Amino acid sequence: MARLDALTGNECAAQAARLCRVDTVVGYPITPQSSVVESIAAMVANGKMSSKFITPESEHSVMSILKGAGMMGERVFTATSGQGLAYMYEPYFSMSTARIPMVMALATREMISPVTVWSGMQDAHSVRDAGWIHLYAADNQEILDSIIQGYLIAEHPDVIIPVHVCYDGFYLSHQTAEVVVPDQEAVDAFLPPCALTQMLDVNDPAMVDSNTPGDLMMEYREDHLASMRRALDVVAEVDAAFAAGFGRSHAGLLETYRVDDAEEIVVTIGAMSGTAKDAVDAARAKGRSVGLIRVRCLRPFPAKALGALLAGRKAVGVVDRSVSFGWSAGIVYQETLAALGLAGIAVPTLSAIGGLGGADIREEHLARVLDLIHDCALAGRSRQDAVWMNHELLSAQRR
Amino acid sequence: MTVVEFLAQAEDLVSPGLSACQGCAAELALRTAMKVIGPKSVVGIPPGCVAGFGAPGWGLKTGMKVPVCMPLLGNSASLMSGIKQAYAAKDPEVRVVAFAGDGATVDAGFQCLSAAAERRENIIYICYDNEGYMNTGFQKSGTTPHGAHMSTTPSGSCSQGNAAFKKDLPLMLAMQDAAYVATLSVSHIPDFVDKLKKACEVTDGLSYLHILSPCPTGWGTTPELSIEYARKAVETLYFPLYEYSRGTFTISKPTLRAAAKAKPVSEFLAGQRRFRHLCEADALALQEHVDRKWGILSRLAG
Amino acid sequence: MRRLPIGRDGMYVIDTGSWRQFRPVVRQADCTRCGICLMYCPVNAVRMSDGEVSFDLTYCKGCGICKIECPKKAIDWVEEGC
Ligand SMILES: Cc1ncc(C[n+]2csc(CCOP(=O)(O)OP(=O)(O)O)c2C)c(N)n1
Ligand code: SF4
Ligand code: SF4
Repeated sequence: MARLDALTGNECAAQAARLCRVDTVVGYPITPQSSVVESIAAMVANGKMSSKFITPESEHSVMSILKGAGMMGERVFTATSGQGLAYMYEPYFSMSTARIPMVMALATREMISPVTVWSGMQDAHSVRDAGWIHLYAADNQEILDSIIQGYLIAEHPDVIIPVHVCYDGFYLSHQTAEVVVPDQEAVDAFLPPCALTQMLDVNDPAMVDSNTPGDLMMEYREDHLASMRRALDVVAEVDAAFAAGFGRSHAGLLETYRVDDAEEIVVTIGAMSGTAKDAVDAARAKGRSVGLIRVRCLRPFPAKALGALLAGRKAVGVVDRSVSFGWSAGIVYQETLAALGLAGIAVPTLSAIGGLGGADIREEHLARVLDLIHDCALAGRSRQDAVWMNHELLSAQRR
Repeated sequence: MTVVEFLAQAEDLVSPGLSACQGCAAELALRTAMKVIGPKSVVGIPPGCVAGFGAPGWGLKTGMKVPVCMPLLGNSASLMSGIKQAYAAKDPEVRVVAFAGDGATVDAGFQCLSAAAERRENIIYICYDNEGYMNTGFQKSGTTPHGAHMSTTPSGSCSQGNAAFKKDLPLMLAMQDAAYVATLSVSHIPDFVDKLKKACEVTDGLSYLHILSPCPTGWGTTPELSIEYARKAVETLYFPLYEYSRGTFTISKPTLRAAAKAKPVSEFLAGQRRFRHLCEADALALQEHVDRKWGILSRLAG
Repeated sequence: MRRLPIGRDGMYVIDTGSWRQFRPVVRQADCTRCGICLMYCPVNAVRMSDGEVSFDLTYCKGCGICKIECPKKAIDWVEEGC
């Protein structure tokens, strides 16, 4: 029987790894992720989990050991954050491009400098073009469920791409919430045993991942992008299959909230979405026609689906926990603009930036963003510069 | 069976035609090492000359008769650990080997190599030490000797070449109590083969083999003298041959013989273009460094 | 199955024999079959069969190591094309 438990986001990630019967976990500490690998170490030490657990000297080695094990056809797992992700960038990129389908939990964190250990999404968003699939969870249950879904997506024969399950550091990683922990039989029925290719085999020697001429490189990349495109369907299908098996859905690629008749839309990602829904409800109560779209899957980006949802609206605002250096905007905003452009939709837009380095995104911040989206709709014009949510709130209050 | 008989009949597990320079000792080291290690092995060759001359293959073709992959410059020991740990469950007899240059070993890959030794990963790590980043154009690495003219430590009106001294990785790994550590020279093949056999027998930790590998192109020597330069390195105690295992240092026979009547390091330096500019003071500093290192080693070996 | 970076398309072989300017030729009368040339050839191009030493000229790069290392100086150096 599934059991109800009170777990932090990090504990959810660890439980999911256990339920997925991963062969190898490689762990390295970094705030706010550390308790993921600590929980796994404790489960392994107490016989509750039968994975190998390896403790190397850096995240560069974490991803490198995982790559070695992955090339041998193992199902592998780790978790990291911020600087750890940056440190492992080199093998991280080569993991996806060698087509080794693992799942990694990422408790998202702002990037240094200056020094911070707090939340933000700059780490994850900065690697959105490194070939991984990126799922963003909005609550603890979704962390657990997305990791289980993640292996099915990653190992799907049409995909074979690693999956990154991202969740807001501290806000989700350290916050305890009520979670349904599925039982092992149910997960086993949903996720078949790992059957990945053993790339290195003394009985069938081959060269793996070696010097490659440009024409062949083009083929690899084309195939990777084609697989990413197919992953759009697979992410949605896997979530639907999960819903059928476990009675919970996490909305596939994009979650929508009160969008049907909405003239104005706020696009969110991650844990802020819950608060943003409250802000939408409050605005609706004041007679505003507003709805919310949460991006669950940032890579592959569901541009077509988002474009279709945004057609015919009067204004669209996007709230980011990251910045796109060189633009006065956040990163999910850039993605949204691209989707609008592809769909040929001309609509006033706005980029709002908040929650960097652990700064709060409270309902009042989001309420103010909704006001500004409304202003855009009235003016019929996009805002050229980003709205810095904390300043904006202060100056609005002063006024 | 004599060593020659063994080498004559052992299968060459490397492609017969690879684009190493004429007289490249790394090619000899790779072929010889693989004859001893044998076909039940998986090899990782990070960026460097051996990868560049095609041992891991090109396009969809392979350069070896055993499974081979290319780690990154700085992760060979970790990547191969992951492979070994996964293979251990399927077939513990499969040997997992890293064959890496000095740059990939003592510089970029040092941290993870040291950690793999600490975790007692049962891999065979072979460093071919040509004393520089050769594949990228002969830049200075951590094992480049003092005074050497390299493309990033050129000699000139304000420079006498490399100001630093050769980093001693085998000694560091011995201090970490790695399961088996040995230094090898392509000039002493029976000793070379013997040490590889010992490395293959280790089942409880990491074997580290450090091979001095003359590079005619980078050192500025003629191809036919590669073996001769390796021999001079041994005879001058510039590169002492020894083993470390379970608390004991053993000086190898060729070095014991050499120590009895050690030649001056200048005999090793002579004729190499990278040392052509060397002034007497720097040659002396190099000799003193060699003497000091030999003093440490001979004390360790009792 | 997706396109994994695995190569099984045979062996990568370069025609290194074409690099040679000189080729080794052994004087069988002076050769003692010690095998030292075989031990040091970086290309594994030395053969010992029927008690005779010979060179695989398909791959021999003509580096000259065998000539220098031969303790009997029994290897001659012959210019290619002559
Ligand atoms: C992270 C990283 N930095 C730099 C390089 C460029 N690079 C390729 S090969 C090489 C030299 C390696 O030197 P070494 O390991 O001594 O091998 P050698 O070329 O001498 O055989 C370098 C620096 C790289 N591949 N990866
Ligand atoms: S540059 Fe030196 S190490 Fe590299 S292939 Fe040529 S001889 Fe060998
Ligand atoms: S010349 Fe060089 S490559 Fe040719 S057989 Fe002699 S040692 Fe080998």
